[in-house]
Amino acid sequence: MQKSVNLQVNQLYLERGDRDLCQDLTFSVTSGELVRVAGENGAGKSSLMKALLGWLPIESGQIEYKGEDVTVHRDVLLADQLYLGHTPGIKTVLTPLENLRLYCPEASLQALEQALEHVQLGPYADIPAAQLSAGQKRRVALARLWLTDKPLWLLDEPFTALDHAGVLALEAHIKTHLDSGGAVMLTTHQTLLTLSAKTVELAAA
Amino acid sequence: MNYTSFFKAEWLSLLRRKQDTLNALLFFVMVITLFPLGVDPSSEFLAPAAGGIIWCATALSVLMAVEGLFKEDFNDGSLEQWLASGLSVSVLVLLKVLAQWLMVMVPLLLALPVLAQMLFLPWSSLLTVMGSLLLGTPALFLIGAIGAALTVSLRRGAVLMLLLILPLYIPVIIFATGAIRAAQLQMSVSGQLAILAAMSIVALALAPVMTAISIKASVN
Repeated sequence: MQKSVNLQVNQLYLERGDRDLCQDLTFSVTSGELVRVAGENGAGKSSLMKALLGWLPIESGQIEYKGEDVTVHRDVLLADQLYLGHTPGIKTVLTPLENLRLYCPEASLQALEQALEHVQLGPYADIPAAQLSAGQKRRVALARLWLTDKPLWLLDEPFTALDHAGVLALEAHIKTHLDSGGAVMLTTHQTLLTLSAKTVELAAA
Repeated sequence: MNYTSFFKAEWLSLLRRKQDTLNALLFFVMVITLFPLGVDPSSEFLAPAAGGIIWCATALSVLMAVEGLFKEDFNDGSLEQWLASGLSVSVLVLLKVLAQWLMVMVPLLLALPVLAQMLFLPWSSLLTVMGSLLLGTPALFLIGAIGAALTVSLRRGAVLMLLLILPLYIPVIIFATGAIRAAQLQMSVSGQLAILAAMSIVALALAPVMTAISIKASVN
């Protein structure tokens, strides 16, 4: 089944406390597109993600997903997205396998193990995540991308703490996702190695 | 993520972090052991006071258990994943509180008959004490969850949480100890127990919703 994504952001105005984060921000994310949100530290990249998911109130402007205003109907967007934040929700007392089973209960054991292989965590499947390094913990969360069929990925700093091979593997996987009609919106300070992205620049006011 | 996998993971993490639950239980045991030593170890004093001692010890250990209920979920980003999952956060809260309640209350109720003997609680009123705990503690946990969610993003929220929550615990304690006193006087206890049950049911209806709203406010 071909995935379809159509996210439109029109003249979005966000503020946090007394600080303006973005004014008149207009962009779209559609099937097959990789959108990179750029901006210096504190420019509001994460806040933009949170605004899309509805955790941060928007001051003015519209966010539409598949033609529906998400401030009215957020269910469609929530059902279509996979969000990985700065802290991606990995429980340190659980093993990578148990963490994945929490988020992907439908997947078979074999599929879960395969996903962990993809992120080079095969041998660590049964070790409590507390004993893993920062990069390995992030890989546990990223393994969900190999198990999901959600069309829209919202990735906040997915490359942080990843090594070179890890970045390449993730970029390759993002490429397959885009080719199958999915869309990815990500924030990063690193330059993308193999992918070309549409850049949305957040200027600090 | 679905509700079943969520509950399983919650239960598993509680089992992995046994020491936190044991702390609450140990605290309960300690208060009950030390109280007679500090005041008056005679049965004339302890038997009528037993209900009050047990309930205060329970309320304090419940507070200990729920104080950091969402702290780890907040720090590791799980709360964001709850909100992004599209599942009802109220139901997730309810499942989490249920797991915590089982983990704290089952050992506490098992230890209770022995501890009650240390306080010379008559066997005839033990059943009322257990009934009051079963009916009253869900309210304590659910109300505590609201406080824990409201203060989760604060670095030192523990004191604020106590101030928010303790006044709401008072009615539960009053009616629970009232029921135990009535049992000791061989009076009917159904009225007080019914009020306890009512408080838990109201908390069951309102607290998960309020907790979910607080979680959403804490995450941004």
